[in-house]
Amino acid sequence: MFSTIIEQIVNGIVTGSVYAIVAVGMTMIFGVLRAINFAHGEYYMLGTFGAWFAVDYLGLSYEASIIVGVLSTIVVAYVVGRLVMQRMVGAPAEAGVLATLGIALVLQNTVILVFGGGYKFFSGGYIEPLSILGFSLAGQRILILVVCLPVFIGLEFMVTYSRMGKSMRAVSQNVECCEVVGIDVPKVVLHTFILGAALAALSGVLTAPVNVSVYGGMGELITFKTLPIIIMGGLGNVRGTFVAAMILGIAESLVATYVGLQFRDTVGFATLILMLMWRPYGLFSTQARF
Amino acid sequence: MSLADTAQQIRRRDLRLPLVAALLVVALAAPFIGSRYVTHSLIIALIFMLPAHGLNLLVGYTGLLSLAQAAFFGIGAYTAGLLAVHYGTPFYVNAAAAGLLAGACALPLGVPALRLRATSFVMCTLGFVIIGQAIAKNWISVTRGDMGLSAIPKPHFALGPLSFTVSGTTSFYYMALAIGALATLAVWMIVRSPAGRNMIAIRENETLAESLGVPTWRYKLIVFIISAVFAGVGGSLYAHYLTVVSPLTFQMYYSTTMLIIVLGGGAGTISGVVFGSLLFVGLTEALRITPELRMIAYGLCLLVLVFWFKKGFAPVINRFWDLIGGTK
Repeated sequence: MFSTIIEQIVNGIVTGSVYAIVAVGMTMIFGVLRAINFAHGEYYMLGTFGAWFAVDYLGLSYEASIIVGVLSTIVVAYVVGRLVMQRMVGAPAEAGVLATLGIALVLQNTVILVFGGGYKFFSGGYIEPLSILGFSLAGQRILILVVCLPVFIGLEFMVTYSRMGKSMRAVSQNVECCEVVGIDVPKVVLHTFILGAALAALSGVLTAPVNVSVYGGMGELITFKTLPIIIMGGLGNVRGTFVAAMILGIAESLVATYVGLQFRDTVGFATLILMLMWRPYGLFSTQARF
Repeated sequence: MSLADTAQQIRRRDLRLPLVAALLVVALAAPFIGSRYVTHSLIIALIFMLPAHGLNLLVGYTGLLSLAQAAFFGIGAYTAGLLAVHYGTPFYVNAAAAGLLAGACALPLGVPALRLRATSFVMCTLGFVIIGQAIAKNWISVTRGDMGLSAIPKPHFALGPLSFTVSGTTSFYYMALAIGALATLAVWMIVRSPAGRNMIAIRENETLAESLGVPTWRYKLIVFIISAVFAGVGGSLYAHYLTVVSPLTFQMYYSTTMLIIVLGGGAGTISGVVFGSLLFVGLTEALRITPELRMIAYGLCLLVLVFWFKKGFAPVINRFWDLIGGTK
């Protein structure tokens, strides 16, 4: 009984890490653009498809497929960023919603059109269980945990100390002042967007061996999971997003075990609506930032 | 900041009546001109026109971008389907019940949701669709879960001793056309009334509207409910036409389709919605475009609309029409 709870919590932390890597990109994009990226899950899907393509068609190893997945997503994100995201600077919130919904439709259905709508089998990855402290955990899940921590530590340092991170924070505070002091706002937006999309793709490639199936519509669910996380974490807050993702991951895995698997995907949206009602500024902040 | 600015009144009143008359003639004659497939496409366009009219009141006139329309569409479809399957009630009862229940659900959902602004409101309304789908999937004793409701009878009317069943595609088309025309008329009356002007005032500047004595909160809530009623009635038509309802009725794709109709046709115009549903639903059905290509086209349309055609494609048509009419 007790060990089941521990096991579910560990599973939840793994799921939470996956969500965290996706959501942190979305929250940073919100920070600089003031727009929710409804297409964010599609980059997760693109990363997975890139890796699947590399393993299945090109016969590459899983390690190489990670690079292929992330790089191909970066290329797509560059194009989308130049054509669409940069135009969203200073646009009304509704325009951002509609434009990113449009991108989501285009990306998702282009992939379905090219590769077909069926479920595909992802064969790479480390699926052999490893035994640690009496618990057996698939190697891939450990890899996810191992990747997630340095990613977040790196992001924390980047946001705090690097020039790019500082300009990101500046843009998220005041676009006009950034223009006055000579920060290239569209460039910051583009870089943040590509970074976010690349992280989503990385998360997708890392999860693919655990999820096993790959399909065109998989990104939508991830977008839906990301929304409550970024609200809980406080929009634009990197550290808060990490904690919020862990909370949602653990909550989902406990609900799946003790309430019913079919309710797992509802947890996120129930949380989202409750958060929006009572604490729209997130769990860790006392006042509205946006 | 709004999706639809107050369009200046262009002087082409002289051409409006003949246009409506011509449209009516074409609409009435359509089943005899086109093939069965064209009639089918027109029925689908008419079914989607109803929730789109509701969404237009919300997006185009009151300035609230909502994705919840598919949730109310689904509620309507399930209500009509369940009533027809279990009780065999006549169509007008089902449609009325679908509209009323969707409206009744909109009240408790709208009260919290309308406190939110812009992006938060969008996310919250999207949540209604997802939760609606989860309920439809898991409340198996009522909705039969993923199996959905099937064999929903064709709509029939019963008034005293008279009874009539709408069985063929053509007769269903005329029924949908009648309902669509009534809905268009209803929207026209709402928009023309002082209430319509108050709605536009809220869209243009909510604070200013409030300061001039417009009860903005009550208006927003009532418009949200009215839009749900339209979606519910549309859902009942959908259930009776396709004779199948599944949890996939609650999907974001439908909300996006309705948004495309409204924004593509021109938010804040009634003719825009009519034109939009024919163009985006009727035409894509009639051309038998594969679903993926259609959705890619929808996505590209959204991008083009947001960045280049902020008032939809209707002004382009209007300019053409003015040219013909020689009014400008």
